[in-house]
Amino acid sequence: MIRYWWLGLVFIAMLLLPLFIGEFWVHVAIEILILGLFAVSFNMIFGYMGQLSFGHAAYFGVGAYATGLLLVKTSVPLPVALAVSMVTAGFFALVIGYFCVRLTGIYFAILTMAFGQMLYYIIFQWYSFTGGDNGLQGIAPPAWLMTASAYYYFTLFIVIAALIVMWFISESPFGYTMRSIRENADRTRFIGINVSQYMLINFVVAGMFAGLAGGLLGPFNRSIAPDLCNWHQSGVPVFMTVIGGPLGFFGPMIGSVIYTFLFAFVTGFTEYWPLTIGLVIVFVVLFMPGGVLGLAQSKFKTLGARDLRAGPQGPIDTET
Amino acid sequence: MDASLVFAQFLSGLSRGMMLFLIASGLSLIFGVMNILNFAHATLWLVGAYVCYTFWFLMQDYAFGLWLSIPLAALVLAAIGWVIEVVLIRRVYKRELPEQLLLTYALVLILGDLIKIVWGVEDKLIERPPLVEGPVFIFGMPFDSYFIFVILVGLAVAVGLWWFLQKTRYGHIVRAAVFSREMVSALGIPIPRIYSGVFALGIFIAGLAGAVQAPVGSITLGMDMAVVIQAFCVVVIGGFGSLLGTFVAALIVGEVYAFSILFWPQGALVLIFVVTAFILIIRPWGLFGTPTRA
Repeated sequence: MIRYWWLGLVFIAMLLLPLFIGEFWVHVAIEILILGLFAVSFNMIFGYMGQLSFGHAAYFGVGAYATGLLLVKTSVPLPVALAVSMVTAGFFALVIGYFCVRLTGIYFAILTMAFGQMLYYIIFQWYSFTGGDNGLQGIAPPAWLMTASAYYYFTLFIVIAALIVMWFISESPFGYTMRSIRENADRTRFIGINVSQYMLINFVVAGMFAGLAGGLLGPFNRSIAPDLCNWHQSGVPVFMTVIGGPLGFFGPMIGSVIYTFLFAFVTGFTEYWPLTIGLVIVFVVLFMPGGVLGLAQSKFKTLGARDLRAGPQGPIDTET
Repeated sequence: MDASLVFAQFLSGLSRGMMLFLIASGLSLIFGVMNILNFAHATLWLVGAYVCYTFWFLMQDYAFGLWLSIPLAALVLAAIGWVIEVVLIRRVYKRELPEQLLLTYALVLILGDLIKIVWGVEDKLIERPPLVEGPVFIFGMPFDSYFIFVILVGLAVAVGLWWFLQKTRYGHIVRAAVFSREMVSALGIPIPRIYSGVFALGIFIAGLAGAVQAPVGSITLGMDMAVVIQAFCVVVIGGFGSLLGTFVAALIVGEVYAFSILFWPQGALVLIFVVTAFILIIRPWGLFGTPTRA
């Protein structure tokens, strides 16, 4: 485990973070965590399974609405609402994924997007249930999470727990089956694996964690809007993953730090945020394929972020 | 419900379908030949509308102002398309699908803000020339006379593209490049130049569509966002790279929208995606595409 020493440092730094920064940056840190979880869940489909989902915001949005509606209309505690978010998003991912996993490449991307837009327009127009384009207001977190730093620690705890679960999934035989499907679906089928069933399970798990991330967002912002399910929102985890690097488990998280921090910083003095992030994306795509993590890995081999393309343990590792 | 109302709705669906065809045909052409799904297509369509507004604004004292602005805007957009291909798209031919998608998505964001910087945030309105100002009455139902012009432009572009692809030497080269770019290149035809030309042609049609759209209502920031997804749907339903498919699919989507507005207004926007998902599930290569490319 010695190669993951830096994770411990990051963890301690994150625990101490609210002591040193103002409330605004605590809010930014919460957003980094939530969107980072969203992006890591997206990368289970993109990085591990090798398919581009352009409708991942649908599960994020379903999760956000599940928690939001429960907190506004009933009095269930937040952790229960988050669990319901995961299950609901997972259910939608199951139904939608059932069709999507039969396709690959551009068709997969467009079908996920079509389903995402379908959900978006349903939420957008269903005034009596979802509030339509007015969104949902007054989603209050429980009293013990009212302050920014309390909600920060709560989010940190949930996100780290979710990341650990996803890490174990990605390092399990199941995770390596996903990598093998990405590299060659036909050969994976030949060794007796039901490829579309594995892809569907992965799709559902990714949808569940996206739903969890969405659930965390409502009580944080105190409101949600149907734009959360829009294809534009689906672009956010794609950006983060490409900026951070899709080939490492923490790539999307690094992307979330860069993207969200940049957003908070840039919107402080200019309204032209889309122009800024657009230019960043063009730069990354043209000159930095592999993202920040890819760049860092080629410079510092000892960083420990393992290349997903490598074998189970990369070089034989006597320390673990 | 009487027949004239149905007919009026049919015409409204037809003009909507033609507008979608104008946008989607360039998208389909670019995807069919270059294998690049251009997210920025509708944003360039919107740029076309704004450029048309500027030309019209400069010539608003003349009666022919609008009629001259439309082709001029299309030409400006062709030039912009050519520059984008040479500077950006050319660098990612060999890359994987997500990177190509992201590059054109980044263009959506960049162009969207550039529009804001150049033309501001206020809506722009073009005053129509007297010829297409009022309604025409068809079977006693009023119908916007400008939509007749939209339908005619759509038909002209459909015929023009068909003639170009089927009857000219360049059209033959383009169609050959769809099937095997290696073979075309082995015959000594420079593929990059063909790609630049196709991209510029696709954006030319997008610019034309935007310019034709401009006088329909006011030109608004963000109009492109819903349109691009609908254009994707049209291309998917028709089959990637099939001109006939794009034409038929655009009409289907236009008519489905026009009639669902009548019966079930809330479902009108959702229905397009239901149809698209259904087609993708049972026939991923679309109504008129060929399965070999799937």
